[in-house]
Amino acid sequence: MDNNKPVITIRDLRMRYGERFVLNGIDLDVYQGQIIGYIGPNGAGKSTTVKIMLGLVEGYTGEVRILGTDIAGDSMDYKRKIGYVPEIAEIYDTLSAQEYLTFIGQLYGMREDDADRRSRYLMEILGLKDVFGSRVSSFSKGMKQKVLLISSLLHNPDILFLDEPLSGLDANSVMVVKEILALLAEQGKTIFYSSHIMDVVEKISSRIILINGGRIVADGSFVELKEQNHEGTLEDIFNQLTGFNEHRSLAEQFVSVVNEVRI
Amino acid sequence: MNDFRTLKLLDRFRGAFEGMGVQYDQMRRILQVKLTMDGRRVPTIVGNSSRRQKGTLLGGRESSTLKGQNGTGDDSNRFIRSLWVYALLGIVMIPFVIMGNNYMFQMSFVFGIMLFMVMTSLISDFSSVLLDIRDKNILYSKPLNHRTISMAKTIHILIYMLFITAAIMLPSLLVGLIRNGIVFFLIFLVEIVLMDFLIVALTAFLYFLVLRFFDGEKLKDVINYVQIGLTIGITIGYQLVFRLFDFVDFSFRFQPKWWQFLLPPVWFAGPFEYVLSGDRSGYVAAFSLLTLLLPIAGILLYIKMMPAFERNLQKLSEQTGRESKGLTRLWRLIGKWMCRTREEAVFFGFASAMMAKEREFKLKVYPTLGFSIIFPFIFLFTNLQDGRGLSDLATGKMYLFIYFCGLLVPSVVIMLGFSGQHKGAWIFRAIPIQDMNAVYKGTLKAFLVRLLVPLFLIEAIIFTAIFGLRIIPDLIAVLLCLFLYTFISYLLLGPELPFSEPFQAVQTNRSLKMIPLMLILAAFGFVHYAATVMSYGVYLYMGILLIANIIAWHRGFTDVSGKRGFAQR
Repeated sequence: MDNNKPVITIRDLRMRYGERFVLNGIDLDVYQGQIIGYIGPNGAGKSTTVKIMLGLVEGYTGEVRILGTDIAGDSMDYKRKIGYVPEIAEIYDTLSAQEYLTFIGQLYGMREDDADRRSRYLMEILGLKDVFGSRVSSFSKGMKQKVLLISSLLHNPDILFLDEPLSGLDANSVMVVKEILALLAEQGKTIFYSSHIMDVVEKISSRIILINGGRIVADGSFVELKEQNHEGTLEDIFNQLTGFNEHRSLAEQFVSVVNEVRI
Repeated sequence: MNDFRTLKLLDRFRGAFEGMGVQYDQMRRILQVKLTMDGRRVPTIVGNSSRRQKGTLLGGRESSTLKGQNGTGDDSNRFIRSLWVYALLGIVMIPFVIMGNNYMFQMSFVFGIMLFMVMTSLISDFSSVLLDIRDKNILYSKPLNHRTISMAKTIHILIYMLFITAAIMLPSLLVGLIRNGIVFFLIFLVEIVLMDFLIVALTAFLYFLVLRFFDGEKLKDVINYVQIGLTIGITIGYQLVFRLFDFVDFSFRFQPKWWQFLLPPVWFAGPFEYVLSGDRSGYVAAFSLLTLLLPIAGILLYIKMMPAFERNLQKLSEQTGRESKGLTRLWRLIGKWMCRTREEAVFFGFASAMMAKEREFKLKVYPTLGFSIIFPFIFLFTNLQDGRGLSDLATGKMYLFIYFCGLLVPSVVIMLGFSGQHKGAWIFRAIPIQDMNAVYKGTLKAFLVRLLVPLFLIEAIIFTAIFGLRIIPDLIAVLLCLFLYTFISYLLLGPELPFSEPFQAVQTNRSLKMIPLMLILAAFGFVHYAATVMSYGVYLYMGILLIANIIAWHRGFTDVSGKRGFAQR
């Protein structure tokens, strides 16, 4: 269901930390309703891209437009249409889930009672009704992840940025969240999803973008990537495109070192 | 979540904030959340003063597993409730305010104390606010403009400063109003606010410098050491300030010197002299001008540098692991040399690393080390006051006061069982340790080598400087005695797996066991005293101690193993 007008356009995006270039010219158009699986090895520039789009990182060159707005300007209104799930550590965990969620809702400009009511419902649906008033610091990894997911969706955003959104969730919750993402995309929301778990990316993404060394090295649906690369799984494609074929020999080395010790 | 009165006060300036382009509702909400979170932390000052009573629970609720369960029930800002401690500390300044009309001298002291207290508590308790890297991801990804976020942060710090300084300065302000009149009061009040500005600017500048040249871990170390310094400084400061009155003659005339320009508290005394005493000399005028201009310039610079500061904060989340290789190897060598078995050497190395690196352990234990350096001197000085001179002292047997520094042994031996990272202790149960005694022995030896001996050396050097080289045999005997004493403390306090319990679990009934240990230490001191009366008595004492040590450290542990320890845990 690609529309003609992209919701995100990135042109020649480059970013440098000190001497090191993290992004070397990214060009990308993202259309409404897509679920983008944004993958790449550690240090490839995945999270930098996402952080630039959220306005967390400055000092890039090139152009980034989200919903038609150039984000380099002082405008921050585009952020009202964005939801963001950061890594687990990024949460004020001395607050209760209720306090945290209403706070976030209000930062997006919602009314307090409205934010409270909606977050209560959403918590209840995800099975966290009883801990709504408890401090987030007492939550398990999976529970925190659910809180973060709710906080990113409270204000009904058009674009969703997710950083490893399934980590810590049990198998049943994973199914629920995957279903939620699919439904949201069906309704025209755009989801930008970065993860290291290839199986999940392979299943839920409508389009996969692989970056390596600050460049896009593959872009297309899983089927398209498979045809281009003649490989079986996304994992294999990932290994091939990032030029990584030593896994067997590294594993052999590792095990042989482990075996050296005899007590 | 409470609606804070401070925020209601802030509402009156809504128009002004909005005029500056701040999104007021959102800023207010951020502040409300931040203040709520502060209320759920425990300031260092309270955590430590309550430790001696029953208070570890109070400290525990925040950082332990207990915390989540009690929900949000007790929100009545713990920070506000801790303010009386600051007010109590502020009483110390009253004598300086009332004792005379030598403003230059008195007010330099007052502002010196204020600078120390406010700055150290800002660093030790509010660093987490200044340095919260979660803010970046949580707040900057929301539809807020940068001005709103910077303003929220600045106001947050200023609110905190306002409360702390109000509490600390209130006693002396009131006394000043009664004793020195309204003009004095007004100058004092204005200067306190200026001092706050200066402190915020100085602290931020300090962080900026550290982050500019070092990494985030270094900064965390700096904060850790400031916390330790605060704990020591306050306890010892109290001892000293009151004794100071006996030593120093306050009636002498103030003489301006160039180096006083390096001491901000001295500037702050200037305006009092200028206005109240009518001293219009160049120095006083210059001090007054600095007092007025520098803090304002500082805070403006701070607001301007905020973005650069935030960028440097990113370093806090970066992982860098550089370590001085040479030193590590040295410790490993010492460990090999000190320990009989390999297992023991392993735990020696482990315990040394924990003692040197675990920040919560350092925060709890290092102040004790500081006190034990000071203790002997407090007793020495008390004796000085009884009318004897230093030269008189040097020929006597007062050096035996050095035994007082042994008081640290039992309390540190207890603390060795605790750690901020107690959860890592599963490793003791998961790995097959053949001889549990190696664990205790290695740990205790690490304590001797890394904490006790260095500390004793410092103490011994100062004592030798006072009493002369003649006491060196005695000092060696004392050190041997402390080795033995460590073993005895371990025996009586019972073996505890090292670094395996959270600090919140430190129990007070353990302090009861300290009493017999103190008596034992005193007994050693008396025996030593008796030995000095005999000719060659010290050497005899030394010999006995040496043999006792050898027996204790070689045989002592094997005897213990069967009776107690691991099996019952």
